[in-house]
Amino acid sequence: MRKILIIGLLILLSGCQKEKISFSSNASETFYVDNAGASMRVLVEGNTLSRTFILVIHGGPGAGSFFYNTNYISDHLGNKYAMVYWDQRNAGASQGNNNGGNLKLSQMVEDLKKVIEVLKFRYGQDIGIFLLGHSFGGLIAADFITTADYQYMVKGLINLDGSHNYPLNDTLTRQKLLSVGQYEISQNRHTDDWQKIINYCEAHKGNFSLEESQQLETFATTAEDYIDSIKHVNIVTEVLSYAITDKYPLTSMLTNLLYSEDADFNKELAVTSFSSSLKKVTIPVLVLWGKYDFTCPIALGQEFFSSISSTYKRMSVSPVSGHEMVVQDEVFLCDEIDNFVNDNK
Amino acid sequence: MLKIPLNLPVIMRKTIFAILLLFASASTNAQNDTIVAHSPGRFQFSISYVSSLIYPGLSTGTEYLIRTNDFSIRKNDGNYRYISKSRLAEVSVNWYHHTGFHDNLYLTVEYVMRRTRKSGLITEFAAGPGFSRTFLGGTTYKVNDNGDVSIIKHAGYNYALVTAGGGFGFDFSSKVKRPYSLIARLNMIAMFPYNSTVYIRPVLEVGFHANPFLWNK
Repeated sequence: MRKILIIGLLILLSGCQKEKISFSSNASETFYVDNAGASMRVLVEGNTLSRTFILVIHGGPGAGSFFYNTNYISDHLGNKYAMVYWDQRNAGASQGNNNGGNLKLSQMVEDLKKVIEVLKFRYGQDIGIFLLGHSFGGLIAADFITTADYQYMVKGLINLDGSHNYPLNDTLTRQKLLSVGQYEISQNRHTDDWQKIINYCEAHKGNFSLEESQQLETFATTAEDYIDSIKHVNIVTEVLSYAITDKYPLTSMLTNLLYSEDADFNKELAVTSFSSSLKKVTIPVLVLWGKYDFTCPIALGQEFFSSISSTYKRMSVSPVSGHEMVVQDEVFLCDEIDNFVNDNK
Repeated sequence: MLKIPLNLPVIMRKTIFAILLLFASASTNAQNDTIVAHSPGRFQFSISYVSSLIYPGLSTGTEYLIRTNDFSIRKNDGNYRYISKSRLAEVSVNWYHHTGFHDNLYLTVEYVMRRTRKSGLITEFAAGPGFSRTFLGGTTYKVNDNGDVSIIKHAGYNYALVTAGGGFGFDFSSKVKRPYSLIARLNMIAMFPYNSTVYIRPVLEVGFHANPFLWNK
């Protein structure tokens, strides 16, 4: 009994320790940001001594940031900068109760602002933060940098196959599926598969409903399987290879993804565009695109690039990547980001 | 050996410590007389290691025998198979630690349907409601409208919980005349409302069940 009391006392005393925020070349720290009914997980990994942070705004909605934390990125960006993996509300390891009513784009922009404020609180007001928005994360990033003077909270933006205009995105996806599909059929490659896609695109010409938009997105994903030049990656194998070491909360990731994909706010997203407000953007911007991205076709990136007013802007295209450059062309991705951040930190 | 991680929130450590004390007090002789006088065979205590993949945890509780029914089945070879069917109510306090995600402390009340063969082989199914309190797996910050940042202590959420699971084990009372058993069970816990939906988690439980009041009989 005495032993139990002593052990209990030791445990209680150790609870008085305060959190230590470390600066190191190999940091790994998890914290949460609580806002409007959601507690959002933030993982900071890599070189915090650099005082330069790259904040990943993941896709989805609801996909979570775990998939972006690959060994290659850790070894080639995390060794120089601190990588910040933020799980948006209702995504990844983020938690809460009945918070579905707050699942809105405008709320996510406020969430992002608070994540940046907490990063500066933890690591110092003088740190440099770059945003890296992928896919749906590009929409959040576009909203963020065109809201008030939020863009000046960060040193730059990396737009990685991001969407800033959903209606235009759907139109461009349809056009690309049609043009590439017709070419592939002329080359006698995957003719039956392409014909099915072409038939759908010819039957649905514009003013897309949410269901049509989602079907186009599904075709855009499968279309990558029919292009031999793309580096094909088995996402399931990829997930399983990191699930144990990175301590994935798999069931949370899955339920959050299923909920967010079907949430009402997707209707709001389907008509959201920031094309007309992008001229406000003056911070440095790097636009990275996959040549074979059907989900967010390259013309979307070109429109983004030509709309911003930044004096430092660069657009670069991977010749072997589709929509998932993080795993399809990680060498190109890391080299481009490294050069951009190095020029602007 | 199980270790209680030192980075757990204070309130959780206190709770775990209280659970350990409760369990320890139940096995002291000082309480034997009173309980034995009422129903010595009806209560069992359990302590289990619980785990989801690589995430460790602990479970402790007590089960109350509601009724038991012994019967035999005549097999094709003419011999009989003797089976004991029991119905129990089990109350347990459970905890697991998932680094970077959360610690979950949850109370469950389960209805247990257990079959024990003469050989000692146990099969069982259990289900019931519960209550969960999670503690987030990292310091939690809140930012007000002025941009002031503060830390939320013991941040986490309360959830309603339902658990269901099945398992097997071995009752040593028939072989070595000791009132204890080992049981392995796979439970699915469902917590809600979790981000306006349901969080489901498989939990493997390997436990030791014993009746300390009958230990010396």
